[in-house]
Amino acid sequence: MSGPLWPRGLRSRLLVAFVVVTVLGAVVAAWSGAGTAGAALVASSEQRLTEALTGQIGAVTPGLAYPPDQGALERLRSAAGANTLVTYGSLRSADGVAADLVPDSLRTAVRTGNRMVTQRTTGGGEPWLLIGTPVMITAPDGARTPSGIEVYAARDLAGVEREIAGMARSAVVTAALTLPLAVLLALLAAGSVLRPVRDLRDTARRLAAGDLGARSNPRGADELADLTATVNEMAGSLQESMAALRRMQADARRFAADVSHELRTPLSTLTAVVEVLSMSADGMEPDARESAQLAITETRRLVTLVEELMEVSRFDAGTARLRVEDLDVAGAVRDCLRARGWSHRVELVAPGAVPARLDRRRVDVVVANLVGNALRHGEPPVRVVVAASGGEVLVEVTDSGPGLPEHVLPHVFDRFYKADAARTRTPDSGLGLALALENARLHGGDVEAGNRTGARGARFVLRLPRESGDR
Amino acid sequence: MKRTWSLALLLLAACGIEPSAVEDSSEAPTGVAPGVTLYFLDEWGELRPQLRETGRLGTIAEAVGLLLTGAGHSGLRTEIAPSSVTRVVVTTTPEVVELAVPLTAGDVTPRGIDQIVCTALGVHVQSGGARTMKAQVRFVQPTPVSDVVRTCPLIR
Repeated sequence: MSGPLWPRGLRSRLLVAFVVVTVLGAVVAAWSGAGTAGAALVASSEQRLTEALTGQIGAVTPGLAYPPDQGALERLRSAAGANTLVTYGSLRSADGVAADLVPDSLRTAVRTGNRMVTQRTTGGGEPWLLIGTPVMITAPDGARTPSGIEVYAARDLAGVEREIAGMARSAVVTAALTLPLAVLLALLAAGSVLRPVRDLRDTARRLAAGDLGARSNPRGADELADLTATVNEMAGSLQESMAALRRMQADARRFAADVSHELRTPLSTLTAVVEVLSMSADGMEPDARESAQLAITETRRLVTLVEELMEVSRFDAGTARLRVEDLDVAGAVRDCLRARGWSHRVELVAPGAVPARLDRRRVDVVVANLVGNALRHGEPPVRVVVAASGGEVLVEVTDSGPGLPEHVLPHVFDRFYKADAARTRTPDSGLGLALALENARLHGGDVEAGNRTGARGARFVLRLPRESGDR
Repeated sequence: MKRTWSLALLLLAACGIEPSAVEDSSEAPTGVAPGVTLYFLDEWGELRPQLRETGRLGTIAEAVGLLLTGAGHSGLRTEIAPSSVTRVVVTTTPEVVELAVPLTAGDVTPRGIDQIVCTALGVHVQSGGARTMKAQVRFVQPTPVSDVVRTCPLIR
């Protein structure tokens, strides 16, 4: 029953099951009633017909000559009514269809049984009751012996069959009358069951869509009301934990923003001191110069980290703004490489000018991060390809290093994620790729990380729309 | 679906009249006989049946009428006085056969009454009647003998 005919909806299934059960019950009850009544009708008709024949024969036998001649057989036959066959030895007297209908089995039963027997049969499309009986000789002491006279009568049962057919018809009509009633009841039952289910579904849908204040109104005290109450409780606790989570997240972001902000002022001072130190480093002892060099490097790294942290905080707070202008992406990438002194280490492939409306500073940050990442973790040659495709600008950065391991791929853009846990002292902050992705997304673009197909090395693709609206 | 339809057809078919095998129904009718049995008395006064080959059983009235005509030359005797009138009126109720005979109580002995009763009940049984049937012999003049309900000593 799982074919296309079986309905999918709960309401239709409920409806069909209810109607099928009800109508089946009505049909079975009506049919068994009609069947019993029909059988009783047949039995009583048979009894009436056999009794009538016994009476008809018994009325004439005392006056009948024995052993009978042809005339006596004719009299007996006419007394027994139409469609009758009377035999005595080789003598026979027949009327109507009886002679054709009587089978040998009935004759044998009459000859051997010494009792009246019946058999239902069909002849000419009509049902017939065949009655066969020997006529007995009863001695004064009651002993019965067969006389040799046999009577076979065929009685038409068409009338009885019509009555039975009428009963069957009324049974079918009765069963059919239960159909609309069953449909009505099933609709009512389905409605009372399905309304709370529908309410619950709507509530669940609103919860899933983010409306954590959605609740259902539990009605009654049945299992569905229990379920509704449980769903409400679940939604309540979900709402509370979501609120707590948001609070904690906001606290953490504010803390990061505050910390980086507070660090900026002392860092400015520190930077100034370090600049002075670097200028006088040439006159130092080799040991002291090495320490001073280390301090300068780490201070610069700290400045970068704090700047990036503040940038991330701005993204988290949603205060990052785009400043779009007309620019040539190929030129911007070339400027970026030249400004960082990477021009001779990176191969740039650009088809000419690629005009777009983008935020120059942010494009510079993204390209610098991707190329810097390739130079640090990959191996040369590093290659940057700028291309325009439809409404998009593609900047592809590939290297020839070992590529990205499978387990690293999903975490490449995570903050402070280090592919190699042992190499924690790399010069980058661990925020570069995360910031690149945030910047691309701010433009309505994306960054994809993967490996080159058919060659060694990692492959990062920056996609930017040519027209970025102010955000 | 196919099964559902065949089930419905089966249900409808079961509502009609089905042909059957040969079934036993009831006692066969009876009543034919080569003649009628009359009851006379032998030399010791015992009831003796005598078959008169009339070619058929006939009615109770015919049998009793025949009885009244006497035993003939059969060696048996009768204890019913000879009468020129032999017409007997028979009334059958579910329990009793009433025989109105053209005789007075003085015309018959108790054995003669037995002859009448046995002959009547014998025909009754031979034509398919119950063996528990009783008989009542009514005489032409009022007498308490007419009210006695009797059975035949030979048919019980």
